[in-house]
Amino acid sequence: MVYIISWDDFVERSVQLFRSNPEKTRYVMKYRHSEGKLVLKVTDDKECLKFKTDQAQDAKKMEKLNNIFFTLMARGPEVDITEVTGKEPTAQPAKRGRGRKQ
Amino acid sequence: MVATRNTMMLALEAELVLQPSPLTLTISVPALPRFNERRQATRSSRRFLMVRLQLDPFLNELTSMFEHTTEKGSVWVTLKHSSDKSKVQRNKMTTAGKELEYKCLVRATDGKKNISTLVGTKDHQRFQASYATILKARMTSLKKREKKDKRKAADANKKQEVSKKRSTPAKP
Repeated sequence: MVYIISWDDFVERSVQLFRSNPEKTRYVMKYRHSEGKLVLKVTDDKECLKFKTDQAQDAKKMEKLNNIFFTLMARGPEVDITEVTGKEPTAQPAKRGRGRKQ
Repeated sequence: MVATRNTMMLALEAELVLQPSPLTLTISVPALPRFNERRQATRSSRRFLMVRLQLDPFLNELTSMFEHTTEKGSVWVTLKHSSDKSKVQRNKMTTAGKELEYKCLVRATDGKKNISTLVGTKDHQRFQASYATILKARMTSLKKREKKDKRKAADANKKQEVSKKRSTPAKP
């Protein structure tokens, strides 16, 4: 299993992995309260990226990553996520589907 | 995994039927219940049941999972981009020219129970916020940042060393 040390590296590579294979990629989080451990995994069943931590500050960073993934997975992999923290920009490509406006 | 589940189901649901003549013994095994059928949800087979919930019940169940795993156990949450249709259905839809609608499939388990829900485009902001609240409230056993004090002490030491060097410059 590949444990990545740098958080930013983990984020960048996992988004890249999702975009390259949106059908198969999944984002897993495991939390153990008894040990105070948090492990994140992003995999498309070919490549696997993992990140583990026991730091509270990483939980805050994970929150942002959660937002990124929720947006990507609920809306679609083409969505521009550069403004996720400030919520979505208007430059969204036409949704393949009913093209409903929010 | 599937093999063990099937054999276990067989073991649970095989019935011994005694015929009138004591010499013949018939074991009747009913057709294997399909994964979705809950009528024979015994304690051990419940582990393989994936319960699909609406958003708010899912969040409530997730909270209770966190509550139950404080002493021991883990909570797993999985996010996946999914159309919630089988490959056959997807192929049919694409060949018929119909558009597939994707949502975010969220699954959670505590090792014993499995729950899942689908988050659509409209609900994802709200779900995201509630989910973040739950995590923030529940992930309390992670370590606080104590290294900051050590770092400050280390920086202070470094500064002292640098100032000492400046006060006593090396002469050739």
